Amino acid sequence: MEGSIKPCRLPPVSRPISHFQTSVSMKQAPNALYKSLQWLVLAGACVASCAYADDYSDVSKLVRTNKFSEALTRVDSYLASKPADPQMRFFKGVIQRNLGKTADAITTFTQLTQDYPELPEPYNNLAVLYAGQGQYDKARLALEMAIRTNPSYATAHENLGDVYARLASQAYNKALQLDGNNTVVPPKLALIADVFKPNLGNAHNPASPAVVASAAPAASKATAETAAPVVKPAAPATPAAKPSAPVVTPPASAPVMAPAASATTASAPADTQASKAVETAVLAWAKAWSNKNVEAYLKAYSPNFAPAGKQTRAAWQKERRDRIVGKKSISVTLSDLDIRVDGEQAVASFRQAYKADSLSVSSQKTLNLKKSAHTWLITRESTGR
Amino acid sequence: MLSKTVYAVLSVCLLGAGLTSASASASVKPKSPVARASVPVGQDSLAEARLIQIYRLIGRSDTRAALDEAQRLVKDHPNFALAQLVYGDLLSSRTRPVTAFGDVPATQLKANAAALTSLRDESVARLKALKERPPEGYVPAEFVLLSRTSKHAIAVDAARSRLYLFENRASGLTLIDDYYISVGKLGVEKSTEGDQRTPLGVYFITSQLDPKTLKDFYGVGALPINYPNMLDIRRGKTGGGIWLHGTPPDQFSRPPLASDGCVVLANPDLQRIINTVAIRSTPVVIANQINWVPQNKANPQLDAFEARLNAWRKAKSSGNLAALNAFYASDFNNAGKTRGDWLPILAREVAQTRGRELQLKDLSLLHWRDKEETMVVTFGEVAVGQLTGTSKRQYWSRRAGQWTIIYEGTRL
Repeated sequence: MEGSIKPCRLPPVSRPISHFQTSVSMKQAPNALYKSLQWLVLAGACVASCAYADDYSDVSKLVRTNKFSEALTRVDSYLASKPADPQMRFFKGVIQRNLGKTADAITTFTQLTQDYPELPEPYNNLAVLYAGQGQYDKARLALEMAIRTNPSYATAHENLGDVYARLASQAYNKALQLDGNNTVVPPKLALIADVFKPNLGNAHNPASPAVVASAAPAASKATAETAAPVVKPAAPATPAAKPSAPVVTPPASAPVMAPAASATTASAPADTQASKAVETAVLAWAKAWSNKNVEAYLKAYSPNFAPAGKQTRAAWQKERRDRIVGKKSISVTLSDLDIRVDGEQAVASFRQAYKADSLSVSSQKTLNLKKSAHTWLITRESTGR
Repeated sequence: MLSKTVYAVLSVCLLGAGLTSASASASVKPKSPVARASVPVGQDSLAEARLIQIYRLIGRSDTRAALDEAQRLVKDHPNFALAQLVYGDLLSSRTRPVTAFGDVPATQLKANAAALTSLRDESVARLKALKERPPEGYVPAEFVLLSRTSKHAIAVDAARSRLYLFENRASGLTLIDDYYISVGKLGVEKSTEGDQRTPLGVYFITSQLDPKTLKDFYGVGALPINYPNMLDIRRGKTGGGIWLHGTPPDQFSRPPLASDGCVVLANPDLQRIINTVAIRSTPVVIANQINWVPQNKANPQLDAFEARLNAWRKAKSSGNLAALNAFYASDFNNAGKTRGDWLPILAREVAQTRGRELQLKDLSLLHWRDKEETMVVTFGEVAVGQLTGTSKRQYWSRRAGQWTIIYEGTRL
C-alpha cells in the first residue's frame, strides 16, 4: 500500500467575500470554513473584506511560488492584529509544514481544530502530518473527525481509506509476525508535501469560479451571466435521455442527458454544440473511471493538466493507476451537471457519487476543460467548488 | 462491510443469549448453562474475553464498535497476533470486502502463510473452548478424590488447547478459570526426548522457576511438572523439563501446536496461576480430551479401589508381611528395587509401627486410564497416637480386575 495521502485543498480564499458566489453556492452546502468566515464577515468586517482578500491571495501566491519565509512573515504580521483568523492560521500551518517545522504545524492545526471544530480541513492536514510520522491511529482519528464535521469531504474519505489500508497492513504484519520494516513502504514524503500546496495553480484561469472575485475581474462577467440557477432536474434534452432521471450513470451503454444541457441551451444557445461536446467528454471520463479503463481515463486529461502541488505528472498518473486498478469495482455517477463554455475553455461542475468497493463518497467536483483539436481535455480537477 | 458470514462461522454460537453449555465430551450430557459466563466476573479485562466480545460485535454487524474495541485491545496487547488479525480485518473491511477470516492480501501473506493458518487454528480453539463449556458441577474423571491440602487442581485438555483451573472448596472441586494454551509442535503423548510432544498423564507441579533465571522465551515464569512420572519411567519414556511456562515478550500467545512439549500460557494467565496455586500439592492432569463426569457420583469401581486400599492399610497395620506382600506387583519397581528388595523395607516399617493402627491422612486419588488403568495415591501414613508420619505416594495398577501396587515411595 503506497502512502498516497491526498492533499487537502485549501479552501478557496476569495470565496468568503465574493458577492458573486452566493447564487452558485446555493446548490451545495457551503463548506464550513466558508460558513464561518461568512459569519465573521457578517459580524462586522464588511468594510475590511477587500483588504482581507488581498492578504489571503498574496499569501497564497507566496506559498504557491514556494516563498515560504516571506509568506510566513506576511501571515505573522496579519495574525499580530487578528490572531484568531482561521484562514491565516491555516496558511501558517501549511507554511510551517513546508518549512519542515512539523511539530509547529501540528500545533497550529491542532489549535485550529480546537478553536474551529467544525472545519474539516485542519483535521485533514493534521492527519497527513500524523501519517507522515507513521502515527496512523492518530491520523485515523483526525480524518474521522474531518468526516464527522463534513460528511461529504471527499479528500478526507480518500485519505481515510488509505490510512485504514495502512493500519490493516500493519495489523496483518503484526499478526503474522512479519518484520514490518521490510514490507511497509514509508509514506512518500513528496506526496505528503503536496498536501500543502494549495491548488491555486489555476487561480488566473478566468473560468475558475473559485477565484472570480479577487483574482480575475473579467470572470465576474462570465460567472454573473450564468449565475442564475441553471440546473433543471427533469429537463428532457437528448433523445437518448430518460427524461425523468436526474442522474447520469456513466457505465450505461448510452450516456444520457445532462439537465444542464438544456439549461445551457436556454441561456446560451450559441454554446449548445460546445456544451454538448464538453458533456460527452465529462461523461466519457466518468465512464472510463467506472470501467476501470485507466488508459481512457488518463487520456481524458490534457497534457497541460497540472496535478496538485509539486506532484509530477508521472507520479500523479501512477497514483491514479494504483488507486483505480486496486479497486475491485468502481462506480462513478454524476448528477446536477452544470457546464459553462467560454470559447476554448469550459467548466463542468457536478455532484459526483463515487463508490469503490465498500467506500461510498458523494462530493461536489469541478473540472476545467480546454478544447484540443476536436476533443475537450481536463486541465484542472478540483473537489469542492 | 465485514462479511458477517465470515465471522458467523466462528461466532454464531456466541450470539443471542450468550454462551450456553454444551457437551464437553461424548459421554457427558449437558445439564444447565455453566455458572461461569463467557466473560468471567471481575475479569472483563482479560484479553481473550475482549477478543470474544469483538467477535460478538462483528456477529451483530456492529463493526464500528468492533473496530474501536479491537483498536483498544491491540493497544493494550500489541503482541496479541490474533487480535491484530481481527483488527486488520476490521480495518480492511472499511476499504474492501473482507471475504475470509484473516483476509490478508496475497502479497503480504506469502511471507508467512503458515502463521495465518496457526492464527485461524488458535481462533477456532479459543472459540470452541468458550462455546463448549463443561457442565456445571462436572469435573475431570481423573480427580477422584483430592485432599483438602490440595487447594487447587489443574487439568489440561490438549485437543481443546485449554487449561482448566479448579479450586478445591469444601463444597467440592470448582472450576474457577480456564485459559488458552499451546502444546507440543507434534501434539501429545510424549515418549522420547526431543519428540516435541506434550506428555499425557497425572503430574504434580514440582517447583517454581524464577523468571530472572530464565530466558525471555519463557515469559513471566515456569512451573515444572514431574514428567517422567513413575508410570512413564516404567514405560521407558525419556526426556524431561516439561514446564508450564509463559510466552516471549514479542508474543502474547502462541499457536495451538507450538512448543517442544511444554504447556505454554499467555503471561497474564500464567501469572494468575503462579499467584494462585501451591507448589507440590497441585496436581496437573494432562489429557488429550478431558472426560468430564459428575462430581461425587457413586462409582462401584472406585469403591472397589477404596476397599482394596483399606485392605492394604489393615494388612500393614496388622504386621502380616505375607498378606501385605500380596498387594505388591511382581514387577514392582522403586528406582531399581524389586518386590523382593522392597519386602525388608516393609518389614522395617511394620516393626516401627508395633501393631498400631495406621491411618491414611490427606488422601488423594488420581485415576489415569490409557491402555492400562492406574491410580496415583498420595497420603500421609500416620500411626494412631502419633502426631506425624510419612508422606507416601503409590502407583496402583489394575490387572485382571485386581488393583496392585507397582510403585511406592516416600514423597518429599
